[in-house]
Amino acid sequence: MNPKRLLSCLALLGLLLVACSSVALAQDTTLTMLTHWGTEDQLAAQQAIIDAYMAENPDVAVELVTVDFGELRTKIITGRTAGISADVYHFYHLWLPDFVNAGVLAEPPQDSLSYIDENVAQGTIDAVSTPDGQTWGYPTEVNPYLLVYNKRLLAEAGYDAPPANWEELKEIAAAITQVDDTGAISQVGVGVMPGWDSGIVHPFSALLFSNGGNYLSEDRTVAEFNSEQGIETLQLYADLVASGGTDPSINGLGDFPSGTVGMVIMAPWWRATLRAAEGIDFDTEVGVAEIPVGPSGDAPSSIAYTWLFAVDSNSPNKPAAWDFIHWMNAEHEAGAGSAIGDFLVNALGAIPSFDHDQAAFAESMSDHYVSAFVAASAYARPEQIVAGGQEIKTLLQVEIEAVLAGMTTPEDALASVEMQANAILEEQRMMAEE
Amino acid sequence: MSSHASKTAWWLPEIPKSALMRRRMLWAYVFVSAPIVALLVFLLGPILFSGWVSLHRWDMLSPVNEMPWRGLSNYSYLLTKDPVFLKSLGNTFLFAIGGVGANTALGLGFALLLNSRIRGRTVWRVLYFMPVITAPLALAVMFSFIFNRNYGVVNNVITAFGLPRQPFLSGPSQALMTLVFIAIYQYVGYYIVIFLAGLQGIPQDYYDAAQVDGAGKWQEFRFITLPLLRPVMLFVVVTNTIGALQVFDLVFATTGGAPANSSMTVVLHMYNTAFKFSRMGRASAMAFILFAIIMLITIVQVRLLRDRTYQD
Repeated sequence: MNPKRLLSCLALLGLLLVACSSVALAQDTTLTMLTHWGTEDQLAAQQAIIDAYMAENPDVAVELVTVDFGELRTKIITGRTAGISADVYHFYHLWLPDFVNAGVLAEPPQDSLSYIDENVAQGTIDAVSTPDGQTWGYPTEVNPYLLVYNKRLLAEAGYDAPPANWEELKEIAAAITQVDDTGAISQVGVGVMPGWDSGIVHPFSALLFSNGGNYLSEDRTVAEFNSEQGIETLQLYADLVASGGTDPSINGLGDFPSGTVGMVIMAPWWRATLRAAEGIDFDTEVGVAEIPVGPSGDAPSSIAYTWLFAVDSNSPNKPAAWDFIHWMNAEHEAGAGSAIGDFLVNALGAIPSFDHDQAAFAESMSDHYVSAFVAASAYARPEQIVAGGQEIKTLLQVEIEAVLAGMTTPEDALASVEMQANAILEEQRMMAEE
Repeated sequence: MSSHASKTAWWLPEIPKSALMRRRMLWAYVFVSAPIVALLVFLLGPILFSGWVSLHRWDMLSPVNEMPWRGLSNYSYLLTKDPVFLKSLGNTFLFAIGGVGANTALGLGFALLLNSRIRGRTVWRVLYFMPVITAPLALAVMFSFIFNRNYGVVNNVITAFGLPRQPFLSGPSQALMTLVFIAIYQYVGYYIVIFLAGLQGIPQDYYDAAQVDGAGKWQEFRFITLPLLRPVMLFVVVTNTIGALQVFDLVFATTGGAPANSSMTVVLHMYNTAFKFSRMGRASAMAFILFAIIMLITIVQVRLLRDRTYQD
């Protein structure tokens, strides 16, 4: 073919493609929402919400993308780098400072901020805000941690009440554990969750707070877990391993639902899993109790983390994206609750952030499981979010696992993480000043 | 010097005088330029960009033109202050040494067996090759059950013989070696096929002549098979080493580097550093350090095996 003719054809084809895509853009607004709720039931529930929104807003199409929690941060980062980021994110609030510093998030419109201010408790708003007071999205699930226990295993071990302090925790855990002649552990007192940062660090933090300790300083500039209370907390893990009360080869997350773990420190969103579990009867065998109090603590405490819906700053459809988020979280009929509130409570078993959802779904949250977490959300301390927080959390997870594996002492483990955590916090401060 | 050479530089092509030939030449360059451009854009470009990033602090979220300059600090941090990197480097070397040694020895051994006149030779070949075509994730899940401390098949067998139960993947001193075993299971079939192809390329005449001279089986192996297999050995050792030093999927899907980084490898640490901690500069520096190590090892391996091949 003549080169001139070939070039002309290519140019014409390019123009046609541009024209077609422009026409398509002019017709519809397409929003992409990225979440980590990926089970079949959760997908169906989310799609029902999206379908209802699209029925009311026929000019807007919403596409749902879900990835496993472990890949969510990676997906957000690579999506942005590749220029194919979602419009709407639902993400873990610990990542908020990193995302804000990098300019990932769009500021919510004033009417959204006003709605959040009027309908959400201040503590939860703070959990999705930066220290300058800027709120970055609609808070969704609030997850405090409590001691979830198997009533049947406790009763079989001779105990009719869960442990109230660490001595009782160690005693009951050792009594529940069963090892056969070959050394195989058929059931264990306390289940830990190695390999999952939140599954290790959140229970540790709940125990640390119930022992009177702190994670970071109040101004979040230095790590404070390497304290007498912190060492006592990690020593509890070492003691549990030594007495056979726990073993890292038994994973609490997978084995508690099969009825072979006595106690696990976990969050309310586990309800759906426990209801479907075959090894434990949710109604009669699953118990929930406050975190046992440590020797240096004077009252049960806990940690609570939050998630939020936010909009990507690169989204070409920011107003539509905020409108969609608001529609999902707002109560359209008095006393009916929001679509997301319904999803959080009834599909997940999580506690919603908005007051109207807590009121509308109070009945659903009144079962013996979620009601305990609702009570704990009143006193649980919000997870302290800070730039570099994910890295600090992972470092702590690895050192706690090293103590569980007998590779290091609680003192050395916490000293090592403290040094690295403070270096990260210092680096983040310097970067903020640059 | 010819008049033509005085008009054009050595690297410039001679321009044909005919218009038809000039047009053909133009099109030839158009077609050749496509793969060259692709190579520059998709291979060399990312490598150079990665090198540039390794000299900065970049979270992959901020604009590239706003990356703060860090010079060589990412490299010095990794080599002097990052215990996880040094640990993962050591683990990766152990994984490579174990995997390459075993895959080479077992691959050659099984290839020799399969090259002999044994019964069901084709069936054995298929059986050995099956793990190679199995998805690494499926293998990882399967071996997680097989090596489980409390209900795994392996522990049930060893306790039946009165031996103590072992933690395998959940034990800090055993996790890495268990991964080496899984990697051998997964890849030895591939190296068997490679060695088998090499063995079948050795002319039978050499063995016939050796037998006439009174050589035994060991002497045939030592003085005919091994020397003539050296090019194949070079390929196996080099590719296996490169693959082992870049191991990721198996570790990611089984232990995730746990417990307490005892099975952490360089590429998994690189992945965590880049995507979990948003430190793309440091992760890029890791990639370049690993690249340098792989290049150095490959050069040594090629020199050792190649020189002897030529001598033979």
